[in-house]
Amino acid sequence: MTDPAIRTRDLRMRYGRAEVLRGVDLDVPAGGVFALLGPNGAGKTTTIEILEGFRRRSSGEVAVLGADPDEGGAAWRARLGIVLQDWRDHPRWKVRQLLAHLAEFHPRPHDPDELLAALGLTEQAGKTIRDLSGGQRRRLDVALGLVGRPELLFLDEPTTGFDPRARREFHDLIERLAREDGMTILLTTHDLAEAERLADRIAILAGCRVAVTGTPRDLAAFARAGSRVRWTEDGAPREARTPDPSALVWELHRRFGGPVPGLEVHRPSLEESYLDLTRTADDTEPVKAAA
Amino acid sequence: MSAPTTRERPSVNTTVLRTGLRRGRTEYLQFARDRRELLTGPVGAVVMLVALVGWQGHGTVPGTGASKAVLMTARFVAYCVFSAALMNLALGITADREEGALLRLRALPGGMTAYLVGRTVSVLGQIATYVVLMLAAGLAFTELTLPTAPGDWLTLAWVLALGTLSVAPIGAALGAVVRDARNAAAALSLAMMGLMVISGVLFPITALPQPAQWVAQAFPLYWQGLGLRSVFLPDSMLAAEIGGSWRLWEAAGVMSLWAVAGLLLAPWLLQRMTRRESGSRLAERRRHSAVRRAY
Repeated sequence: MTDPAIRTRDLRMRYGRAEVLRGVDLDVPAGGVFALLGPNGAGKTTTIEILEGFRRRSSGEVAVLGADPDEGGAAWRARLGIVLQDWRDHPRWKVRQLLAHLAEFHPRPHDPDELLAALGLTEQAGKTIRDLSGGQRRRLDVALGLVGRPELLFLDEPTTGFDPRARREFHDLIERLAREDGMTILLTTHDLAEAERLADRIAILAGCRVAVTGTPRDLAAFARAGSRVRWTEDGAPREARTPDPSALVWELHRRFGGPVPGLEVHRPSLEESYLDLTRTADDTEPVKAAA
Repeated sequence: MSAPTTRERPSVNTTVLRTGLRRGRTEYLQFARDRRELLTGPVGAVVMLVALVGWQGHGTVPGTGASKAVLMTARFVAYCVFSAALMNLALGITADREEGALLRLRALPGGMTAYLVGRTVSVLGQIATYVVLMLAAGLAFTELTLPTAPGDWLTLAWVLALGTLSVAPIGAALGAVVRDARNAAAALSLAMMGLMVISGVLFPITALPQPAQWVAQAFPLYWQGLGLRSVFLPDSMLAAEIGGSWRLWEAAGVMSLWAVAGLLLAPWLLQRMTRRESGSRLAERRRHSAVRRAY
């Protein structure tokens, strides 16, 4: 078993009186794609910036590639690739020019032309960066994040503002990167479908902590745990939540000695559970879906 | 707790230096090829100088026998070096911070060193462009002649070098502390204008009231202008200078003081600034400025 790429314990962040992270525990294994999923304002960006070493945490333990990001030196930084949400730097540089320039900082960078080809930017190589479309700029940012062959790539809301086609192409790209380079990718998203599609493991950030963590399949099982059964008894509507609706319905049938009036069984989709979870996040205790 | 980047003193090695030099060349070429930047910068300044010479540059400075047009050229060179080192550097750094270039380079090994080397190279290139164009215009449109004595060349060299060094670190420090690029540009222009008026760039400093003369002599712009006048104007011009002397030792002293203060202050401020940057802060500032634009 290799060391995890990222490990946090009881990570907390306060801005003045507001507590933005209230004890985040994360275990991101090396290799594969890990999604940090949560609604806007759940603390995803704060978490990722702490992990990148761009922001100092209030308290808690953090290890990224075995080092504390607050103490990480240049050698540690060189092992990370960072793609921020909204980068508009170097607007006057040409695409290939900037990629080649940033490659110089790394000991064994990717070949800029190969990287541009992989990201579908060959045609834009000579273009001035400020003239790129939003999707092209984003792909350039990923290329810039990848050029130093990082072991760990951070992608903060990578597909925000993409049209469906650009989003799909981007997803294909991420899958290819994770498969071929054996890199660890940590991405944040507020889109459940995106997390399900890309991630080997998902952590849902809600109410300033990790509410659930596990594989997409674990999460699906977690979602079913909240099945709802409704029926009418003594003229009044009744409702129960159960992880095993089948057993409850069997019991009701026996109790009624036949058909159950007004019987309804609802197994929530992952999306419903996710919405439910993020809505009532403040009352939720951390749950571990993984066995 | 110590800050994460303090112990990460940019490592100086030749690869990083070379990368920084190339970065500076790229940035300088972007400046030199940008039509708008040239027009508001060196080309615009030359046009202004030529127009001013044509309008007001006839005859001699009263009581001195020195050519008005040559005096104007010397003043313009001083002002251009000052404004390029201060404004262009400050606004360049502010823009790099707001757009995220600093944040990106900070995350790279040796990135901050390369960034600073690059900025230094590009601003020196800009200043050289200003000086060369100004002197060429002076040669073409006024009676300005290049110095013949080696001593004058030497003075020209050290006055330009020290004049740049006395202002550039301050420019970098300003770039580090100002919050918003557009406000910064407005505030800086105003301050520069005031300094220009009192520093003997527009008219002889001895024509000003005593307190204004004292303020002007506290800043490097006045001393740089004085040094340049000593190179390009005859000693008969001294009739219009404070104390009737070129006071080159004093000029060197004041400019050196500014240079040392700036070189001590700027790295500290720059480091503090980059430490505070992060992606969400960039986004936050952008939201604020978007809101302001909406009104």
